[in-house]
Amino acid sequence: MNKIEAEKGISTKPKTDKEVLLDIQNLKTYYPVKGGFLKRTVGNVKAVDDISFTINKGETLGLVGESGCGKSTTGRTILRLLKPTEGKIIFEGKDITTISGTRLRKARQDFQMVFQDPYASLNPTQSVGEIISEPLKNYKSMSKKDIKDEVMDLLSRVGLPPEAYHKYGHEFSGGQRQRIGIARALALKPKLIIADEPVSALDVSVQSQVLNLLKELQDEFKLTYLFIAHDLSVVKHMSDRIGVMYLGNLVEIATNDSLYAEPLHPYTQALISAIPEPNPKKRKKRIILQGDVPSPQNPPSGCPFHTRCPMAKEECSKVKPILKEVKPGHHVACILY
Amino acid sequence: MVNVTAGTAKPQEKSINMSPFAIARRKFLRNKLAMISSFFLLTVIIFSFLAPYITTQDITKVNISLMSLEPGGEHVLGTDKSGRDVFTRLLYGGRISLVVGFSCTALVILFGTVVGSIAGFYGGVVDSILMRFTDFVLNFPFLVFVIVLNTILFGIVNGLYVLIGVISLLSWGGVARIVRSKILAEKENEYILAAISIGCKPSKVIIRHLLPNVLSTIIVQATILFASMIVAESALSFLGFGVPQSIPSWGNMLSASQEADVLRDKPWIWMPPAIILVITILSINFIGEGLKDAFNPKSQR
Repeated sequence: MNKIEAEKGISTKPKTDKEVLLDIQNLKTYYPVKGGFLKRTVGNVKAVDDISFTINKGETLGLVGESGCGKSTTGRTILRLLKPTEGKIIFEGKDITTISGTRLRKARQDFQMVFQDPYASLNPTQSVGEIISEPLKNYKSMSKKDIKDEVMDLLSRVGLPPEAYHKYGHEFSGGQRQRIGIARALALKPKLIIADEPVSALDVSVQSQVLNLLKELQDEFKLTYLFIAHDLSVVKHMSDRIGVMYLGNLVEIATNDSLYAEPLHPYTQALISAIPEPNPKKRKKRIILQGDVPSPQNPPSGCPFHTRCPMAKEECSKVKPILKEVKPGHHVACILY
Repeated sequence: MVNVTAGTAKPQEKSINMSPFAIARRKFLRNKLAMISSFFLLTVIIFSFLAPYITTQDITKVNISLMSLEPGGEHVLGTDKSGRDVFTRLLYGGRISLVVGFSCTALVILFGTVVGSIAGFYGGVVDSILMRFTDFVLNFPFLVFVIVLNTILFGIVNGLYVLIGVISLLSWGGVARIVRSKILAEKENEYILAAISIGCKPSKVIIRHLLPNVLSTIIVQATILFASMIVAESALSFLGFGVPQSIPSWGNMLSASQEADVLRDKPWIWMPPAIILVITILSINFIGEGLKDAFNPKSQR
């Protein structure tokens, strides 16, 4: 299956449901920086600094940004693998920000994660059968035979042969390992899957297979995805809506078409201008940003992007712009709009 | 959907579906030095534990008429200064030395692993408290502590248990540190996050996911510990603070060489335990090396 065929697949996908599945309100995740003799907190790395967004049932929200901008931290915080510093995570109307222990474990059935590195995300001492059956053993009281049948079913759904059941992770290639990871995430039939750069560690030829598999499974199980990536073409292929992150902040969030047709935030414009153009005759203007990403430990005042923004004005360093709806469904955090 | 990578599964591997431990086992079985050492160690263990069936000599009864006999005849390795058969004492002594070494190792590994894995997994305050406690225990002067405790508890508890308990109580710190550092490195892997997100309790994450992946380090550590525990027992017994004098052990037998005339003129009394001790320690260390190689994914044999 190639990419063109798959692109056709998205346009036909129905998008009628508008029910909110996940509501993120003013989420902040700081990593404390300890220093000195008594290991006191001397500062915070503001990995996620006040972001809000919602994900509707059945849709895919893409999250893009360069390395270190807090995409993965956002994903992990939503799954409560990291402790949020502030803000609220509301899943299906229930606040899961502060629950812990058994209640958190129960809640985790509904949201699962596909990890970035297929080589580190499978326990090397477990066979594939053990890996995929573990979530079932943790939550469901099923007989051994039922569990095995279920695992076999999952294996076939993610395109792995039944022989894989007794094999170990190291006997598979990266793409196949990622399929195992997807099967594990699917085992509990979750409502939300957070895919944290699921294809960035894979060869380009294998990437499209895994992406298409994710799409097929979305239709089949009515899944909702939070799709984290740094590859703009991958995100465009996968997402219904896209959020752009910069230095722990969400700078723009819009529908797929709207964002690519008319990027509003100067950062998004620069990102989109960096997508390679397959046609060499077609010349396009490339916006090249100056300087480096500032340290998230000591972010710039005002708009986090003003130090590198080609359109920065004086007031940009004073006022932090908030995310506002400029066009229907198109939110941007920039004083220009 | 077709898997493009299906053909690239390692063709050189004859048997498929091998767990990392199965691969390590195969590598170990091909290591000659380690296999010879294992064979030797097994022989020592079998002989020591079958001692009552091999010789019928009394190990404690003093016999003045048979004092310090040279090897040969009825007494293969001669007799010591109290007229007891050296060979018989060597076999029974091996029993004690190995039992002390093994029990100490087991206790030390158990305690060190529990403390180290809890400290490593939870981190933060728990880690700080447990590791400072570990530092505290590591700072005890070993020899002084053993001597004092042995003296206090003498006659109240069986001397052998006191020794095992005291050695174990003072030696788990190193293992705890090693296990903690391994767990700290291992828990950064994404499969640990995955295990948490599929609903494993912390205890299950440690036991099912973390410990199997640091087990190779623990096993290697255990073999090295086993050797050093036997040495510790011998050293203490040599000084007279270890196993009670009435029970033969390799260290107790060696302590006879504290007398100058035994050391100079009667080598048959102290040479056998010395030699067997050295070879046993060496072979345990070779086994440890072999295991280390076997568990190392980068070494191909």
